Amino acid sequence: MRKIAIIGAGPSGCFTAQGLLKLRPDWQVDVYDKLPVPYGLVRYGVAADHQGTKNIVRQFERVFTRQGARFFGNVTLGQDVTLDQLRDAYDGVVLAAGLAGDRSLNFDTADGVIGAGELTRALYDHPDAPDLPDIGGDVVILGNGNVAVDILRLLAKGETEFNGSDLSPRATQWLTSRDITSLTIIGRSAAQFAKFDPVMIRELGKLEDVSIRVDDPLSGGEKGLEALRSIDGLNTGSKRITFSFGRQPKGIETQDGKITGLSVETEQGSETISCDALITAIGFCSDASVDRDALIESAEAIDDGHLAAGLYAAGWFRRGPRGTIAENRTDSLALAARIVEDIEQNLDCEKMGQDVLGLSAANMVTYQGWQRINEHETTQAMAARCRTKIHTRAEMLHQASTIKEVN
Amino acid sequence: MDVTILYGTETGNAEMLCEDIQAALEDAGHDILMENLSDVNPTDLDIARVYLVVCSTYGDGELPASAKPFAEAMKDAPDLNGLRFGVFGLGDREYETFNLGSKQIEEMLIGAGATLITERVTHDASGSDMAEDVALPWAETVLATVEAE
Repeated sequence: MRKIAIIGAGPSGCFTAQGLLKLRPDWQVDVYDKLPVPYGLVRYGVAADHQGTKNIVRQFERVFTRQGARFFGNVTLGQDVTLDQLRDAYDGVVLAAGLAGDRSLNFDTADGVIGAGELTRALYDHPDAPDLPDIGGDVVILGNGNVAVDILRLLAKGETEFNGSDLSPRATQWLTSRDITSLTIIGRSAAQFAKFDPVMIRELGKLEDVSIRVDDPLSGGEKGLEALRSIDGLNTGSKRITFSFGRQPKGIETQDGKITGLSVETEQGSETISCDALITAIGFCSDASVDRDALIESAEAIDDGHLAAGLYAAGWFRRGPRGTIAENRTDSLALAARIVEDIEQNLDCEKMGQDVLGLSAANMVTYQGWQRINEHETTQAMAARCRTKIHTRAEMLHQASTIKEVN
Repeated sequence: MDVTILYGTETGNAEMLCEDIQAALEDAGHDILMENLSDVNPTDLDIARVYLVVCSTYGDGELPASAKPFAEAMKDAPDLNGLRFGVFGLGDREYETFNLGSKQIEEMLIGAGATLITERVTHDASGSDMAEDVALPWAETVLATVEAE
């Protein structure tokens, strides 16, 4: 039996496992994650009020419950096991660890400058996230991708607009108790080059307590511009939302180590946009748990996800922080086909698999353990929520090993 | 009854749903083929079979990627008179473009002369129902309607 290890149980890792097991149902596919829980970006990156998108985990559940993949959570590459050990133990190793680090600005930072990934992880109960920051009432969001729009929408929503989500009581309190007066979303390029999906812009038209203004003239037939025109002038309430394009960030202004404004350059000259907080949503990078740059640089065929003999890369880890879950699915399924082809050409004797890694079973969370966590989170959900997540590793590990008595 | 399930998918959810429909209908004794719309040409469709079309919506009310080549080929106006089909749509009511993908497929098939068997049924990903709990009764209704003719 051929054995494959996948590092990262996010969407790209799960789709790679799905593809492999569709092609070769008898292979052993082990999916590792550094967290005790699976699904990565779907759990901690897809917005809490986009539960429809999160439905994709129903496919991933089957990868583990029907297709026979095994999940091993709470295993950190480079700490509990090395990449070399994995490559010795498995016929193929797929790195699908994602890109969790926030790309930073190329100028000095200060208190009140917050990365979008750091903020959303804190909002979505990631166990390693720092506390939710103080952002005041006047917030600038820098970036024109879907992540920037997610943050804008979350900050603009009121209590009842989170009904049906899995937003925690703590995050709900944080989002709805602050007195947001102004939300300004700034793009470096002109409006027609903005990267967000038009459907994300149209969704803002449902907000119940905002007044929206789009700063720049919006002629042109692009779908994104049409969407912007459809929300320009919307007035349902008090939170001011301003879309501002074609502004190159040049630096920040500070007082006592805290941000007070963002300096930008436009075609008309320079200006400063005052703010209490600046949220940067300008892309993601590796968080340095693996030396991704070196692996990518020495890759045999990076476009195919082939890094070295028996070593592959999938998803954002391979392609950079671009592409939706659907695009990464296409990539992962193609990678699975490639892996099958490569490995079946290799007639070496079979690898030993996980048994030789010396991992402690007591420290790992299996899929069954995750099912216990999942059961707890959904049955203990607060009112008007579909789930209330456990947000510490200790409690996750506790729930994973707690076998409920059957009445 | 000879039945073909066709799916248009972008994230794989429609494909998974079709696997469920296939299993349920096979258990009920039907002979089922399942194909991705990306592998089907409109001129290959066979009026001796009943078609169950399951399609999602993607982006700003667009067809999912795997349905796009089929939709493109439908522009050549194939004659689908006598073809019987039902449509099930997957969508998300969070977006105002809810289920426009399945609607497009329905309209293009009707436009080519095919006959819709029972009304299109849709599932809302943001709702509380499981897609298969809505889709299995739909599939059974379509087949029962054809059988009763």
